[in-house]
Amino acid sequence: MLGPKIKLEKDLYDRVKKFAEVAGYSSVEEFIAHVLEKELGSVDATDSEEEIKKRLQGLGYLS
Amino acid sequence: MRRNLSLFALVSVAFLFFADAQPALAYIGPGAGFAFLTSFMTLFASFFMAFFTLFTWPVRVVVRTFKHRKAFQNAKTKRVIILGLDGLEPTIAERLLREGKLPNLQDLKEQGSYSHLQTSYPAISPVAWSAFATGVNAGGHNIFDFLSRHKQTYMPELSSSKVGTPKRKVSFGKYEIPLGKPIVKFLRRSKSFWTILGENGIFSHVLRVPITFPPEKFNGAMLSAMCAPDLWGTQGTFSLFTTDGSVDPIKEGGDTSIVTRDFNRVEGFIKGPENSLTKSKEQLLLPFVANIINDEEAELVIDKQKIVLKRNTHSEWIELKFKAGLGIKVQGIARFYLLATNPHFRLYMTPINIDPEKPALPISFPDFYSIYLAKLHGKFATLGLAEDTWSLNEGVLSEDAFLEQAYLIHDEREKQFFHALDKTKRGLCAVVIDATDRIQHMFFRTLEDDHPANQGKETDRYKNVIEEMYIKMDGLVGKTMAKINEDDIFIVMSDHGFKSFRRGINLNVWLKENGYLVLKEGIEKSGEFFQGVDWSKTRAYAFGLAGIYLNVKGREKCGVVAPGEDYDQLKAELINKLSGLIDPLTGEIAINEMYDNRKIYNGPYTNDGPDLISGYNIGYRISWKGATGVVDDVIFDDNTKAWSGDHCIDPKIVPGVIFCNQKIKAVKPGLLDLAPTVLSLFGVKKPGYMRGNNIFESSDIDVMADGSSPKVVEKVVHDPVEGAAVGN
Repeated sequence: MLGPKIKLEKDLYDRVKKFAEVAGYSSVEEFIAHVLEKELGSVDATDSEEEIKKRLQGLGYLS
Repeated sequence: MRRNLSLFALVSVAFLFFADAQPALAYIGPGAGFAFLTSFMTLFASFFMAFFTLFTWPVRVVVRTFKHRKAFQNAKTKRVIILGLDGLEPTIAERLLREGKLPNLQDLKEQGSYSHLQTSYPAISPVAWSAFATGVNAGGHNIFDFLSRHKQTYMPELSSSKVGTPKRKVSFGKYEIPLGKPIVKFLRRSKSFWTILGENGIFSHVLRVPITFPPEKFNGAMLSAMCAPDLWGTQGTFSLFTTDGSVDPIKEGGDTSIVTRDFNRVEGFIKGPENSLTKSKEQLLLPFVANIINDEEAELVIDKQKIVLKRNTHSEWIELKFKAGLGIKVQGIARFYLLATNPHFRLYMTPINIDPEKPALPISFPDFYSIYLAKLHGKFATLGLAEDTWSLNEGVLSEDAFLEQAYLIHDEREKQFFHALDKTKRGLCAVVIDATDRIQHMFFRTLEDDHPANQGKETDRYKNVIEEMYIKMDGLVGKTMAKINEDDIFIVMSDHGFKSFRRGINLNVWLKENGYLVLKEGIEKSGEFFQGVDWSKTRAYAFGLAGIYLNVKGREKCGVVAPGEDYDQLKAELINKLSGLIDPLTGEIAINEMYDNRKIYNGPYTNDGPDLISGYNIGYRISWKGATGVVDDVIFDDNTKAWSGDHCIDPKIVPGVIFCNQKIKAVKPGLLDLAPTVLSLFGVKKPGYMRGNNIFESSDIDVMADGSSPKVVEKVVHDPVEGAAVGN
């Protein structure tokens, strides 16, 4: 789900676009999102073990 | 009033259905409604949507026609139909073709081609179908397994989607009302080829292709599949209601509820989802009564619904409405199967599926597509892995009951497919059938008399189940061929094959015994999810169905392996020690090869996935305990579960199949080639990041997307990595 928009200078956008293509991203947006996610690291709260087990329950490949 | 409004909405649907409008506009219907709107507001939103869509239809047709006036300009065909038969195994198909038992697939092969289809690394459905959808390997789409690991906690997460509650809430009294819809995030990266087709004015129907939950927004219609949850938020938890208090609780995949009986009246509660409106988040309960009529029948009463259940017969889909408070309800559907009335009452209930007519989470695009299909054909299974394999593993459902359930779901899918095919005058129509995969998982043991899973189970009676299933699918192919035109391109494919799963390997125990994984002091065995593992001393751990991760400094929270030389050396050491690992009991090779992620993946997410992929030999797979991070003292064990066939093994030995009514020129077509092929068929330029090629035009020499010379490509082309050449 998309939220706020961010503006980039055209030069930077062009460089980003070129890099994204070479690096194997399907779009500039995907590249930027990935870079930002990596920079932020995994700071979001994780679920409890019980919640995790519950979410995976019933997956046939796992016990 | 409600009935009149419903009738009007239905008339709106019927109008556009019979008007044979452009496909996207034919799916007008009552709006999906929002998870926690009241009944009145849901109806109001539905009819506003219906009116809006109806009256703006002429304008939207004109705009769409102008915008996509160049669509199909360079197309080589008007229609592409893809029938995915998950897990169809080439050796079984080839034997049955030789025996003349698959006449339609034989016909298709003679019209065009048949070939093996190289699968993904690893050969697991979420990875494989993501490769199919995007035309890139896992390094490009970021789905390496059903599970991914959290780098901070080492705990598992579903790799393909994340569902969470909205952050903003308002509290009053016992309530804590979420403001906004649940947050449902799609985690597969890159871009599906149907999205690209849509951007070029080409409409697609995409039904139950795995890893489409939540559904994408694109110029088309989609039904979500693997890993759409049940109403509990799990991947499918069944319920067993019984008066027998002495029964052991179900170990996996199910919930036992002890119910009370007074003469012939049984009372109990159906457990629903957690109440996300209250602070206590209590599980919602729906009371039910079962009036036992005789040994063979009971009348089930839920709300005002009265359903007569016959023993050993699946019921129709029954609506289950859970009251959350403040006039809000959450609705799901389930089938019931009466197991016994005397001496003890035993009643099985499927996992509670999201109701396609009142979806609590997005399971289709447009939102109202699932509602439209439900109004047309009746309610249907929406759970991602709908066939309840754990109920058979746990001995709650019999083999016959499981098969009946699988085919009921299959029949729903067939109806949806033929309806979509009929609506696809031009564009793509793609569907994936799951029954092929689930039935082989559960009945593969019957193909081998000495399979360890045969102990204590009937075998002879079910020996022909798999063959009969292949023949039934051949029938489906025949019915499809009767509906297609000469110019259509028709592809029948599978994402991987199938082999026996006889022995499990707990690689974490091997890693522990060889000094790569360390338990905390004083602990000899860890529980699930690596409880008791000392991460500050652990260098490598096996995770999910096929991956080994190194515990890397700066990547994992407690990483100890330095990137660079240490990392490379450790990787090489593990590859050397594990490739060719021998099972001491059988003397057989258990692991053919360990694959270095940097040699099998390219793309921006390569380092987010496992560092090594295990190439298990035929007969072997990660053990049940190994898959959930239990570290005890058993490396090899027999697989005795009903789940006796699998494909999470060396991808080189478990390719899928591809049949087509056109000649395939690619020498070794693979999953990565399907996306570029379909784009090319519709005259849409292949994006630069896609690695595969058009299977109808490729020859021995495949030029890499980065322009590598044919000489280099020839050297690697015989390492069949998903059909595309791989470079460094």
